[in-house]
Amino acid sequence: MDSELIPKGAKRCSFPFFATGLAIAGIVLLWGVYAMLLCWFKGLNQTNMNDNYGFALWIWADLAVIALGGGAFFTGLLRYIFGIDELKNIINFAVVIGFICYSSALLILAIDVGQPLRSWFIFWHANVHSMLTEVAFCLSLYFSVLTIEFIPLILENRKINKVPFFHHLGHNMHGIMAVFAATGAFLSFFHQGSLGGVSGVLYGRPFSFRHGLLIWPWTFFLFTWSAAAYGPCFTLLITKITEGITGKKLVKDNVVHLLAKISGWMITSYIIAKIIDTIYWAMVTAPSEGFTMMQFYSNNGFYGIWILFAEIVLGGIVPAAILIKKDWRENSKLLLLAIILAVIGICLNRWVMVLQTMAVPVMSFDTWALYFPSWQEIATTILPVAYGFILIAIAYRYLPVFPQEQELYIEK
Amino acid sequence: MKVDRRSFLGLGLGAVAGVTVSPLPWKLIDDVSIWTQNWPWTPVPPDGEVTYDNTVCTLCPGHCGISVRKINGRPVKIEGRKGYPINDGGVCLHGLSSLQYLYDPARVKQPLMKKGKVWEKISWKDAITLVTGKLAELRKKQSPDRLACITDTDKGTISGLFERFLKAFGSNNFYTISSMDKTWEKTFKMMHHSGSSPGFDLKNSDFILSFGCGFIEGWGSPVHNFKINSAWKENKAKFVQIEPRLSHTAAKADMWIPVKPGTDADLALGMCCEIISKDLYDTSYISGFTKGFNDFSNMVKKNYTPEKVSKTTGVPASKIKELALKFAKAKTPVAIAGKGRGYKAGSMKEFTAVHALNCLAGNINKKGGVWTMPFMEYGNWPAINMDSVASAGVSKPVIGESGSVAALFEKINASKKSPVDLLFVYQSNPCFTMHDVKAVEKAVEKIPFIVSFSSVMDETAEKADIILPSHMFLERYEDVPGAFGLVEEVTGLCVPVAGPVFNTKNPGDSILMIAKALKGSVASSFPWENYHACLEKITGDIWDKLSGDGYLRKDANLPYLRPDADFSFAAQNTESVKMEGSEGSFPLILVPVDNMRLFSGVFASSPFAVKTVSDTIIKKRDILVELNPVTAKKIGLSHGDYAMIATPKGTAKVKVHIFEGIMPGVVGMDEGLGHTAENIFIKDKGVNVNELVGPVIDTGSGLDAAWGIRAKLSKV
Amino acid sequence: MTKEQNKRKKHVFGMVIDLDKCTGCGSCMVACMSENNVPFREDESDKKRSITWMRVYKLTNGKSFPDTEICYLPRPCMHCGGHGDHGHSPCVSVCPVNATRYGYDTGIVSQIYTRCFGCRYCMAACPYHARYFNWWDPKWPGEMEKYLSPNVSPRMRGVVEKCSFCYQRYQAARDKALYEGRDEIEENEYQTACTEACPAGAITFGDLNNPDHMVYKMVQPDPHHTRKPLNPKAFRLLERLETNPKVYYISEREWVRKAGDNYIKGEWEKLNKNHGKSDE
Ligand SMILES: Nc1nc2c(c(=O)[nH]1)N[C@H]1C(S)=C(S)[C@@H](COP(=O)(O)OP(=O)(O)OC[C@H]3O[C@@H](n4cnc5c(=O)[nH]c(N)nc54)[C@H](O)[C@@H]3O)O[C@H]1N2
Ligand SMILES: Nc1nc2c(c(=O)[nH]1)N[C@H]1C(S)=C(S)[C@@H](COP(=O)(O)OP(=O)(O)OC[C@H]3O[C@@H](n4cnc5c(=O)[nH]c(N)nc54)[C@H](O)[C@@H]3O)O[C@H]1N2
Ligand code: SF4
Ligand code: SF4
Ligand code: SF4
Ligand code: SF4
Ligand code: SF4
Ligand SMILES: [Mo]
Repeated sequence: MDSELIPKGAKRCSFPFFATGLAIAGIVLLWGVYAMLLCWFKGLNQTNMNDNYGFALWIWADLAVIALGGGAFFTGLLRYIFGIDELKNIINFAVVIGFICYSSALLILAIDVGQPLRSWFIFWHANVHSMLTEVAFCLSLYFSVLTIEFIPLILENRKINKVPFFHHLGHNMHGIMAVFAATGAFLSFFHQGSLGGVSGVLYGRPFSFRHGLLIWPWTFFLFTWSAAAYGPCFTLLITKITEGITGKKLVKDNVVHLLAKISGWMITSYIIAKIIDTIYWAMVTAPSEGFTMMQFYSNNGFYGIWILFAEIVLGGIVPAAILIKKDWRENSKLLLLAIILAVIGICLNRWVMVLQTMAVPVMSFDTWALYFPSWQEIATTILPVAYGFILIAIAYRYLPVFPQEQELYIEK
Repeated sequence: MKVDRRSFLGLGLGAVAGVTVSPLPWKLIDDVSIWTQNWPWTPVPPDGEVTYDNTVCTLCPGHCGISVRKINGRPVKIEGRKGYPINDGGVCLHGLSSLQYLYDPARVKQPLMKKGKVWEKISWKDAITLVTGKLAELRKKQSPDRLACITDTDKGTISGLFERFLKAFGSNNFYTISSMDKTWEKTFKMMHHSGSSPGFDLKNSDFILSFGCGFIEGWGSPVHNFKINSAWKENKAKFVQIEPRLSHTAAKADMWIPVKPGTDADLALGMCCEIISKDLYDTSYISGFTKGFNDFSNMVKKNYTPEKVSKTTGVPASKIKELALKFAKAKTPVAIAGKGRGYKAGSMKEFTAVHALNCLAGNINKKGGVWTMPFMEYGNWPAINMDSVASAGVSKPVIGESGSVAALFEKINASKKSPVDLLFVYQSNPCFTMHDVKAVEKAVEKIPFIVSFSSVMDETAEKADIILPSHMFLERYEDVPGAFGLVEEVTGLCVPVAGPVFNTKNPGDSILMIAKALKGSVASSFPWENYHACLEKITGDIWDKLSGDGYLRKDANLPYLRPDADFSFAAQNTESVKMEGSEGSFPLILVPVDNMRLFSGVFASSPFAVKTVSDTIIKKRDILVELNPVTAKKIGLSHGDYAMIATPKGTAKVKVHIFEGIMPGVVGMDEGLGHTAENIFIKDKGVNVNELVGPVIDTGSGLDAAWGIRAKLSKV
Repeated sequence: MTKEQNKRKKHVFGMVIDLDKCTGCGSCMVACMSENNVPFREDESDKKRSITWMRVYKLTNGKSFPDTEICYLPRPCMHCGGHGDHGHSPCVSVCPVNATRYGYDTGIVSQIYTRCFGCRYCMAACPYHARYFNWWDPKWPGEMEKYLSPNVSPRMRGVVEKCSFCYQRYQAARDKALYEGRDEIEENEYQTACTEACPAGAITFGDLNNPDHMVYKMVQPDPHHTRKPLNPKAFRLLERLETNPKVYYISEREWVRKAGDNYIKGEWEKLNKNHGKSDE
């Protein structure tokens, strides 16, 4: 039915099967869209956020998704700037994932603000001291870059590519992609960082406040570093999931192992920095403000010291160890475990930096604020997942996302 | 032109580019944000000229002077009136919310008559005709005494008109809601002279001993007292609070003495014993001005040694002795009584014991002490024309022995047919504020015809047959006699500063209309054209000053009565007011708690006031009761748990608030919640504690002096 | 001389609250609501979604019966001067659209409702929970809309609001002075609604930059150390975070002063000894 659109020689499931899959995801998507419309038309009272929890579930989702989407900029950086050629076999997919992550992040922000129709004030009335201003600028610019990186891939669709204009457009864009990859990496560095800055500059919140370099708190650098370190794991995880769903091997092991190895070393270096940061914070920063570290992890029903352990050890040291050791990383089960742990680890980090920051009492007579999201929040947070699933399915079906697919397929 | 794919594309792109560079999208984006800044459903209050009008707040007995800010004649803000003798600029949260009362959606907007179960609108003319018809019937049947009237106070000309109407009509059954004022007046009647009431010179006192008075919860004149409390902090006066629970007042006190509930009288008498035994009392005053001292002295020495009292009260004997010494040694000590806000009557035994302390200190009619003030009189009321029906009617005794509202309802419930055929209810809400609400409702339902003069649809108005709605205080003239317990006489004047917003009348005018419609001697007893004319006449020579300044203050040389005191009643050692219920089945003690932020009187709290109430008191629709962690642990309850509270009078579902500051074994429950009348901001929030507490008649005064009840809490 | 005069022109408005006088009566809360057109809803028992520019906290000393003590602590916006008192208040520095600004001539932190796009970053930044979001469209039932004051615009849904030190009153006082040809406003000409209403006289308001004003005399702000109070009985909330609030508290009770900030075990005792202040 849609065989003309499918890349030449590629084997795809039947259209009705594909359509059914899309429809199921579409229902979830519509549920999310309904929740989104509720938030827009009835206001944010539809959420369970409150004056203590001004940043909640979907801001966490936003930060997490951007960190995970970090695979795009970092793989791009490695591929185009450092010229690690093998990575060309996964860069398309990294870009698709990045595109999904960033478009989701922007959508979430558009739902999150109380006055979405005034969002453009952030550009027009920009306060240069605000980390959020930096985030907004970098995020929208980088999203443009990702779109530009995504377009040629779309143009490669068999049918579209037949149109000479698109064919040439695509070709010319290819030619300058390195420039965009470099711009993207630069922008990413800042917006990943500024997201870290968002909570790191809050000097009224001893839990997340950090000293730093010039105008940037340490979390600025830690966020960039961690996104670069953990993002590729997410690219690999989604690749594995795609491979699982399609029942096909799509990326060759050497590519996977290469990316895994790079990621492993990045996580190792990051987690060392993170541990140093945590120790300095626990021993110097927090006490200077009258807090002991354990105050942040006691007297409440959820945030125990386990969360710090889970983030640093289970989500950091363990995957790092697996990924940097050749035998382990090349054991497919351990590899899968490592990338899953890593993804959880980075999500926990973002969770802690947003949600625990809001929950910790600061005034001595204040109490912990715990919160549970409303269904509208959950639906709008799942919305990007459904959207991502659909976009990946379509991209995989119609675009030459995985350059090695055919080769592997023929080999079989 | 041939439109091929290429040119089509070009055109498309061109169009996109064209639109983007054109001002259109930018203009639209801008417009859309401007629209969000001017949403038509977000009000824009009209601006105009600013003026201020002064009047007096009568929401509570505090009677503060207030100032109303207006924009083009539209009231927008209430402020305290600077320089007003009672509150000098300060104002409480309820007074500040007055404009919410003015525009309250729960207001009765025009006369209403009940047809079956629904309210029907009726014109003022028809309403008056209907009420007069019913009244005329009573007189025709020679039973004018079957008319009764309940109001909040007997002071001022509006209440005066109601009382006068009943007399002229032929009924003695004029009731006012009993509060601590009545117990104090009775105490003064017993110990000093009839016709005197207390004036506490608290501001100049250096040692204040409060037996459970909610000085910071709204006792007496709230704002006035808050100011005094601050003055104490500055001049280092000592304030001692005796109470089983760490109330706001106890929290502000210099010393908090937790005492077992209901044993205040014992503590006071224990102190008397110590003062007398150690010869610490003012001998010149005791020998020169008092009667019955020897009997009293013997009585306390026999029954109230600090050691004995220590057992009943839970206060160590050493502490009692220390307190007695401090009180006696203070330059200008004062002891006060009246639990919480003082909206309920108290025990005569307790009040006389407390006042005995004042007498022992010899601090009567002295600076910083207690003054015997004559009742304030300024009304030049002409004689009432009594026809034979009226004279016969008033010769009958008042229904209910003590003449209290509680006694009236008890009588009605005890009779097969209600002795009252027609009831006027003005500025009172007995179906909410009185103990054992269920019994009160039963009595009210037995009364064949009820005329309510309420401004709002409250619990009692809902049970009426006809409502002749009154202006609320911001809309009307009214003279406001001084607040209870002050050492100076301040008469304020309420003037209309707004509205009337709805089709309501000054209650004085409503009564005049009824009187005139009745014709004959009743009509001729009310010779004034309207209420305003009546007010001017009755206030007479003070009217000019009153209407000019908005108030009249009589200070310094008031004609105080001689300070003679009589200890005979106190020496009788009457029974204490016991609480209902047996310890076996009800191991705990429930005490109502007054809270400044919740109105517990006639008015339901305003939306603003409710907003200030902590979530440890109301959470959604649930009320939380205070419980010491020790008590809670025994029952297996923790903070936020649901529990059933049961008393001999009823049960209710509550939530638990763990509070270290309440005595183990005691349960605290806020007054002023559990309204059932239609008012979206307060209806069905929590439980009315008056449903759980029943009346207990004090033998000394005949008034309901219940201060709590036995209770049981269980997990649900 | 002129330098001194110039200095005088710059106001640093601030508030001193005597916690020993405060009775927790709630007048300040309602005075603020009625002055500033603060909306209300049917159920306001979710205190984390209830707009109260002025909120009275209840503190306890944590001891059990009968040694329990309570203190009420009214909390308006602190109008923080931020690190070094340079005007980079926690909230101001983070607002991406400049919807909340530091007034360098008054020390007042403003809030521009029509600019705010409701990102709530400022709320996350404020450790005092002084900022409130309009989760709902404000509604005044029946005729209640009629009592709204034209001096403070009612806010729309989706924006943040907070105590403004009743800025409209400052504007009115300034306009009046200007009209009467005066350069300066008098201390009593600009007083906030909560200050005026407080029945206990617990709140004092004025210019911390003017030694003649009561607030200055009460706390003796140290001009060389970001206006830290020199009066040992005075303190600011979370002084150690260097938010530099302009709201000061006074109490004779040591445990109350201690509750004003966070201290690691033993730290307070040491600090307090150094100040030579341990009166209980
Ligand atoms: N096997 C294989 N096939 C591929 C790819 C692959 O990697 N392997 N890559 C794919 C990708 S990504 C791309 S981009 C394409 C690239 O493949 P092509 O699109 O074929 O690119 P070129 O081979 O560079 O040819 C572009 C031609 O356009 C001419 N040209 C330059 N400017 C203009 C102009 O303004 N007008 C006109 N009319 N002509 C002009 C140039 O002279 C040049 O000859 O190939 C795709 N096909
Ligand atoms: N050094 C250098 N860098 C460049 C460029 C350059 O020319 N030189 N060109 C730039 C441009 S224009 C582009 S678009 C990018 C391209 O970057 P890549 O996406 O890395 O593209 P190619 O390296 O051309 O590899 C195309 C791959 O597509 C696979 N393939 C072919 N047909 C199919 C199919 O039907 N399905 C799937 N899944 N795979 C298929 C082939 O196996 C081949 O490996 O590189 C950019 N970077
Ligand atoms: S204390 Fe009473 S009289 Fe005074 S303002 Fe409050 S409600 Fe009105
Ligand atoms: S009005 Fe005054 S006394 Fe009452 S709570 Fe506020 S600051 Fe305290
Ligand atoms: S108290 Fe909060 S809102 Fe007010 S200035 Fe300080 S940080 Fe900003
Ligand atoms: S919520 Fe409004 S004021 Fe606060 S940071 Fe965002 S835009 Fe600024
Ligand atoms: S200063 Fe004004 S705005 Fe601030 S809390 Fe007081 S009354 Fe409200
Ligand atoms: Mo390309």
